[in-house]
Amino acid sequence: MLIINCPYCGPRDQSEFSNGGEAHVKRPDGSKEIGDREWGEYVFIRANPKGLFYERWVHTHGCRKWFNCVRDTSTDEILVTYKLDEKKPNLNNFKSVVKTPSGEPEVGSGNFTVEK
Amino acid sequence: MKSINLKENQFIQFHQKISFKFDGVKYFGYKGDTIASALLRNNVNLVGRSFKYHRPRGIYTCGIEEPNALVQIISEYSEPNTRATIKKIYEGMEIESQNRWPSLENDFGSINNLFSPIFTAGFYYKTFMGPHKKFWKNLYEPLIRRAAGLGKPPKDFKGISNHIHHNVDITIIGGGLNGLLAAKSFINSNYDVLLIDFEEQLGGIINNSNKISSIDNKEPKDWLKETIQEIEDSKNIKILKNTLVTTYNYINHLIAIEDRFVGSKPIEGKVNSTLHKIRTGHTILCNGHIERFLSFQNNDLPGIMLSSSFEKYMCRYGLAPSKEPVIFSNNSNSNSLVYSLIKAGLKPKAYIDSRSGEEIEPNLFDLIRKNDVPLYTNSQIKGAFGNKKIEKILVEDSSGALNEIKCDCLCLSGGINSDVHLFTQSKGLLDWDEKDLTYKPSKPFQPTITLGSASGQFNFDNLNSDINEKLKTFKVKKLDVKLELNTNAKYNIEKLWEVSPQKKSLWAKSFIDLQNDVTTKDIRQAITEGFDRIEHLKRYTTNSMGTDQGKISSINALGIVSDLLDKKVNEVGTTIYRPPYAPLSFSAIAGRNCYEFYDPERKSPIHNWHLKNGAIFEDVGQWKRPWYFQINKDESMHDAVQRESKNVRENAGILDGSTLGKIEIKGEDALEFMNLIYTNSFTKMKQGSARYALMLGEDGMVKDDGIICKISDQHFIATTTTGGAATVLGCMEEYAQTEWPNLKVFMNSITEQYATFNISGPKTREIMKKAFPNINFSNEEFPFMTFQFHEFNGVPIRILRASFTGELGYEIYIPSNSAPKIWDNIQSVGKEFGLAPYGTEAMHLLRAEKGYIIVGQDTDGSITPIDLGLSWMIGKSKKDFLGKRSLTRSDTIREDRKQLVGIIPSNKTDKLEEGQHIILDKEIKSPVPMLGHITSCYYSPTLGHDFALAVIKNGHSMIGTKAYASTSSMGTTGVDIVKPVFYDEGNKRLVS
Repeated sequence: MLIINCPYCGPRDQSEFSNGGEAHVKRPDGSKEIGDREWGEYVFIRANPKGLFYERWVHTHGCRKWFNCVRDTSTDEILVTYKLDEKKPNLNNFKSVVKTPSGEPEVGSGNFTVEK
Repeated sequence: MKSINLKENQFIQFHQKISFKFDGVKYFGYKGDTIASALLRNNVNLVGRSFKYHRPRGIYTCGIEEPNALVQIISEYSEPNTRATIKKIYEGMEIESQNRWPSLENDFGSINNLFSPIFTAGFYYKTFMGPHKKFWKNLYEPLIRRAAGLGKPPKDFKGISNHIHHNVDITIIGGGLNGLLAAKSFINSNYDVLLIDFEEQLGGIINNSNKISSIDNKEPKDWLKETIQEIEDSKNIKILKNTLVTTYNYINHLIAIEDRFVGSKPIEGKVNSTLHKIRTGHTILCNGHIERFLSFQNNDLPGIMLSSSFEKYMCRYGLAPSKEPVIFSNNSNSNSLVYSLIKAGLKPKAYIDSRSGEEIEPNLFDLIRKNDVPLYTNSQIKGAFGNKKIEKILVEDSSGALNEIKCDCLCLSGGINSDVHLFTQSKGLLDWDEKDLTYKPSKPFQPTITLGSASGQFNFDNLNSDINEKLKTFKVKKLDVKLELNTNAKYNIEKLWEVSPQKKSLWAKSFIDLQNDVTTKDIRQAITEGFDRIEHLKRYTTNSMGTDQGKISSINALGIVSDLLDKKVNEVGTTIYRPPYAPLSFSAIAGRNCYEFYDPERKSPIHNWHLKNGAIFEDVGQWKRPWYFQINKDESMHDAVQRESKNVRENAGILDGSTLGKIEIKGEDALEFMNLIYTNSFTKMKQGSARYALMLGEDGMVKDDGIICKISDQHFIATTTTGGAATVLGCMEEYAQTEWPNLKVFMNSITEQYATFNISGPKTREIMKKAFPNINFSNEEFPFMTFQFHEFNGVPIRILRASFTGELGYEIYIPSNSAPKIWDNIQSVGKEFGLAPYGTEAMHLLRAEKGYIIVGQDTDGSITPIDLGLSWMIGKSKKDFLGKRSLTRSDTIREDRKQLVGIIPSNKTDKLEEGQHIILDKEIKSPVPMLGHITSCYYSPTLGHDFALAVIKNGHSMIGTKAYASTSSMGTTGVDIVKPVFYDEGNKRLVS
């Protein structure tokens, strides 16, 4: 179970939170003409990278506030959490901390106990 | 094997006898004994039958790694698969052996051993294929299940467990020498420390062997006592004994299980185990090592035991399982057993070492010579023989000659492995040590520190420097401990995994996994058949898949495989070590979240009245809602629902609607917010009026519906479906925070603050007048879809004129605490008008007659408001709302979408059923083009026949045509497709 640092309450167990998928997906402005493709991508298409990922979480069983984070999907490490109105951090800042469990290859399950 | 009690032992109270029963026979042990040590004391060596071949098995080890000695504890809810080597006995304990019939001594299943040449790897997969699929389910599987297996599942289980959470800086796992030294470093420091050991006494190797002769010039036992005292006195260190860490998760999250009744019978109703959930800054693994065995013919016979286990029985339990065991080793770890035996006045019958004379440590040589122990160097055991117990062994000496040695016990040592289970669970990486022939921790993935033999340090020379170096990041004092050993030897091992049998025979068995009856031959065969990846091989042969997870044998299997494939062990790799480290009971995981605490039950304020008045309840989410009310015990559900529905249409009915979600929305921008959340437009809506509203997802599909009351542009109250309340509030909060943070708006759930009564029926107005005499209920003063605030006997109430039945109706909102009184009052004034309560089923029937949908029943997340014929609810002039743009996607404007229609049987006496397919042809010719299905179906007492709602392709344009409803159970029925309104189409009754 992860520990997530809620920007409002501090570090808490993952069981208090719900995941909200990719962060910084902009909702098209409804007052303007929106093309099929633009709207379709907003509703249906989300990134699913292996590695660093901007992600939304909500402190459901706590302050009920939404916030963003950068999570490494290959290690589950949450590198930073920040409030919705804060600028999104540059992913290059985190390059050095990226590590994959057990020296796994770029693509794979991570099921290794011996270095490959 | 004839055992002998040694003199005084600090852990066993020889003056305190304990009686227990094994397979119905009464035996005596002493306070402090495990089942295994007590059985060995009584010379009981046969304790179980093996999994597949039903071979006789004895006690192989003295700890958690035990593969053989699994027993069923009859006196504890018949708990199966308990390791006899760790479970302590108590007075009156009843134990049974497992997997034998009719008795352990004469087991019918041992016939499998005769047929064993055909039970090779993959036997079941290959053999039980035909002649028909049904043979597996009805014949083979039940037969195999009967014959194979471990203990029987308990029939009745009442174990209680609780959970405790810890948040600490340091967790030290293992209270052996290194664990204690690490803990000693942290005494009176500023760190919160948890020290965990799964035994009752801290000390590990100090208690279990005679390896160490002095620590800091003190007797090891005295040093141990002082050190434990110092640690216990330190305020920052907490010790958990009898606690086994089973799981090492991400972010240093550990799970450990504590046995609360060691050496006594669990008391019914008391917590018998505690699950510790530990979050720690750093984990220090001091969980030591496990000795492994060796493979040779019949290496499973009772009387064969690991050599360090034999020594542990001597040191911990004051018991030598045999007076003169033969020792067979390929390494220096068994030296201390020779020392212990001679110290106790016993003597090994022979010492056999696969290493050459030069490799064997000089002081062991001296000891063996001085005591005239027959020594075989450069020698191997070719096989062990005997009937249900070991009687003799065959030794091939350095000259190649075969020697027969009679013996009743054989101690084996195939080397030692760092106990890397927890380290690899933490995702740390291992590396193969070519010199010590074992995997050792290399790169940690988390803040994990390994000390002592858990880190692969099998000698004690670097004890101080290693601990000081690894703990240097902490502000702790440096250690300087002086250690002296009895058997002064560096760990030394020669490669040996398996000795091939003397005679080739189909029946000769060298086991590699004792619990699952896997032989080295199975491993060879699996590789021949192409299962040469270690993960495949494991699953094909079931090697190391027992409850012991191959703790004494999995590394041997890797060694054998690497030799067969001519690869390095590192290239072969290991299988993944997965939690739990040792079996963990489900009751411990469940903790208190079971029985009445499994899921909370939510009850309306009127619940007690329902109980007294014959309500049969239905679960709606966590809520208990009256489904229908029985006027007497014989009334069927159908009769009750028909009676309740009819009464609403003819007189009046009252429904407890308190479970409906209620959300209060306030703020400067509440109006704009509501316009964005719901499809409807609330701008022109008058204050004090209400509106039926739909909420969509961004994909344009209906997610929820409800009635919105507008108190002012800055204040709304919305109702939601009972099941959707939390989701709708969550959705509102999400959009308010993430998409429209500029809007000043706040929302809060008031579901439980207010009870809701829905009264409807033609006589409702009369009842309301009588119940609330100071309110004017006339059509002019209180029109349809308006609401009013009033005070009744000092209670503030809100009355909304709305209806879900199609009849004249009111909804009354009352603060929950005052609700039962007002409910009672309405019941008594309503009696003369025939007012009767109705449940959710009658409500469903009544609303379906009007074609009102239920979100989640008539919709399934793929239905738009247009599909429902509710286009009039869409505020088309609004610039934006949730899902608006999706209503003009190419997919949502398709003409052949499934749309809501009504269905009635063409022949009115025919029956319909929910879930029936709607098809066009009476003839069933597959594939049958499927138009859609029936979503709701009832028998209407008002119409006198069945009717249904359905979603079918292009449904709106099919109204007025004929089709068929079909299921395999009910056949095909001719139906008419009609408008989804069956009653009072003009809404005259609604606005009357």
